[in-house]
Amino acid sequence: MHTVSTDVDTVTSSARQAKPPGGPRSVRRAGILFSLPAVVLLLVFMVVPFGTALVLSFTNRKLLSPLPTRWVGLDNYRDVLTDSGFWGALQNNIIFSVITVPVQTGLALMLAVLVNQKLRGSVVYRTLYFIPITFSLSAASVIWLVLLNPSGLLNTVMETVTFGAFTPDWLNDPRYTMTAIILVSLWASVGFQMVILLAALQDVPKSLYEAAAVDGASWWQQFRHVTVPGIRHQLFFVVTITLILSFRLFDQVWIMPPRPGGPLDATNTIMVEMVGTGFERGQIGRGSSIAVLFFLIVLLLTVFQRRFEPAD
Amino acid sequence: MNRSRKQVIAGLAVIALVAGACGGSDDDEAAEPAAEPAAGAPCDGAIDGPVTLQLTSHSSGDAYTGAVSSFNEGPGAELGVTVELIDLGETGYEDFIVGAAAANDLPDIIDMDGPFLYNFAWNGFVQPLGNCVPDGYLDDFLPSIVSQGTYNNELYSLGSFDSGMGIWAKRSALESVGARIPETSDDAWTAAELDTILRDLEASGVTEPLDIKWWYGAGEWRPYGFATIVQSAGGDIIDRTDFQSADGVLNGPEAVGAMTQFQSWAADGLIDLSAVDDSNFIEGDAALSWVGHWMYGAYSEALGDDLVLVPLPDFGAGSKAGMGSWNWAMSSDAVDPDAVWAFIEHVTQPKQVEAIAAAEGAVPALQSVLDADPSFAPGGLRHLYVLNLQSAPDIAVPRPATPAYGAIRDAFSTALADIVSGADVQSTLDDAVDAIDSDIEANEGYPAG
Repeated sequence: MHTVSTDVDTVTSSARQAKPPGGPRSVRRAGILFSLPAVVLLLVFMVVPFGTALVLSFTNRKLLSPLPTRWVGLDNYRDVLTDSGFWGALQNNIIFSVITVPVQTGLALMLAVLVNQKLRGSVVYRTLYFIPITFSLSAASVIWLVLLNPSGLLNTVMETVTFGAFTPDWLNDPRYTMTAIILVSLWASVGFQMVILLAALQDVPKSLYEAAAVDGASWWQQFRHVTVPGIRHQLFFVVTITLILSFRLFDQVWIMPPRPGGPLDATNTIMVEMVGTGFERGQIGRGSSIAVLFFLIVLLLTVFQRRFEPAD
Repeated sequence: MNRSRKQVIAGLAVIALVAGACGGSDDDEAAEPAAEPAAGAPCDGAIDGPVTLQLTSHSSGDAYTGAVSSFNEGPGAELGVTVELIDLGETGYEDFIVGAAAANDLPDIIDMDGPFLYNFAWNGFVQPLGNCVPDGYLDDFLPSIVSQGTYNNELYSLGSFDSGMGIWAKRSALESVGARIPETSDDAWTAAELDTILRDLEASGVTEPLDIKWWYGAGEWRPYGFATIVQSAGGDIIDRTDFQSADGVLNGPEAVGAMTQFQSWAADGLIDLSAVDDSNFIEGDAALSWVGHWMYGAYSEALGDDLVLVPLPDFGAGSKAGMGSWNWAMSSDAVDPDAVWAFIEHVTQPKQVEAIAAAEGAVPALQSVLDADPSFAPGGLRHLYVLNLQSAPDIAVPRPATPAYGAIRDAFSTALADIVSGADVQSTLDDAVDAIDSDIEANEGYPAG
């Protein structure tokens, strides 16, 4: 390794010597040029809108109103933070995340290991598990709405399996709505995490498994001491992204329950609060303050989570 | 990859994922209110050259396409005016108009449900009809149509029909449980009487006797169809003295009592909440259908002589009914107000009123058309609608003429859904009052002009 890197250094330095002094500048220019599309898109669609939201959150801006927009200082933040609806929504978000992040990561890992086997037909299963990712979630929600009807397909199955003992009204009964939403969410997105982990699994060097097998390691020992350490970075990435995505819970809870976020606020989320405040009630200023708070909450969670990131 | 670069990437990932979700709410640049309407005199008496008008409608049914084509072939051809119908459907209609206003791209003629008007007028999306309306033109209109179209003492809109609310019932089913059949609102069942009838019907084998069209979902149906529960108990959805608060009327003891009664019907399975179409009433799984005039056609065809219309129950302060419906208004961006008026005039002529009202099963907006239809005359199947409208606002209750109506509707609709799902009635209605009052406060009380 050492000699190789020295060689590279030598090559690079000789290249620099061959093309002085415009070289570094042109390399820098190329770097700027290559990153430009991504930077411009991030600025236009992420940074500028977020900056606008930050500014608007200190005003009483409406979606439409003949009244002038005024600065209101921290009023929006005070109103939001003293609103029980916001805290209820945050609580639902946390419940949803606490359940879906481990379950979905575990399920994705299990599916990835399964479809990674060199068996006939594993490609078919890979495709099947991944297909829901290609569906529009709002369209899939409408289909699930029909499946979850009290006399729909799922309950017909439940009736047979439980001999009629358990056929809940999934979406109207506040005790079961979150469960129904979690089921649909798992179905809809587990394939995404599975694909990332599948790619990671295929990157673990075969020689490590061979060495472990020679040492007499069982399947579980190989999984525990070769596979998991081998994909730890991707696992961490999957947990991070699942956490962030789970906080964005919106389409399903907007479309499926008898009212957005219902019944009885059982599936209300911060996204529902934000869109409801900004668009349904037209209070853009207050909606923006929810957006800013939402950003801070997710940022804090992500920063906190990074403390557990595996070392290189 | 070193640590700081990874931090940057992680940070960007968070921004991308979260801000991407928030991005939509920041699109404020287009949110300028439409231009102020020209006060009082939009019409100059002349149509300037050939003009094409856009009409957004909630329906492209035969009555609407017929009205448009008869205009385009008749008076429109003479005047050089062509109307183009854009069907937006009922769901999301209001959102579309708000979006069009935000983009400064309003159509010329807006067909809208009655209570949208007040917010649209306050925002300046629509302009008063003013001098376009000839003297004496309103004489034949039902008073309810004129008052629905009036905001801030200006006439903004005219409708081709008004609405009627009641309970469509199967006469034979009521007779089989010995229930009396009331004919006027003064004679309506009390809530206790309806409670007995529902339980008797269930015992007689009608599985879920009361159909309430719950599958219509969270739209205008819930406040239109069920605010009457609160009003019939002596409450209301807003205090109409100054339209500044719902406190004490929507969450008072009368409203709570009536909603608690309604909730018990849902909890005891007397209301059909899982229907997904009209077949429950038509096929006999329900014997009572709490719905508006628009089911007249389908129901009278299916049930014939067995169909009867009874007033909504009296929760203590007399039976009430909804009123008001879709009507025509001139947008503030209308290219030629005289041309717009020519169309509104056409669809409020007796012939068109008759055709549109008949297609909707609704009460015609003109007294002369109404008088010609025996089903509205004493003894007719729909006579109750006329009686109720004549006794407005004591029996038929107009939806409140306030720009806050959208917030009132959303709050009431949410509260009703939660109450039906079994929520505590008092605290749910308290929350609804908070939502309404905070909207009014956020809009500084919706000051006029």
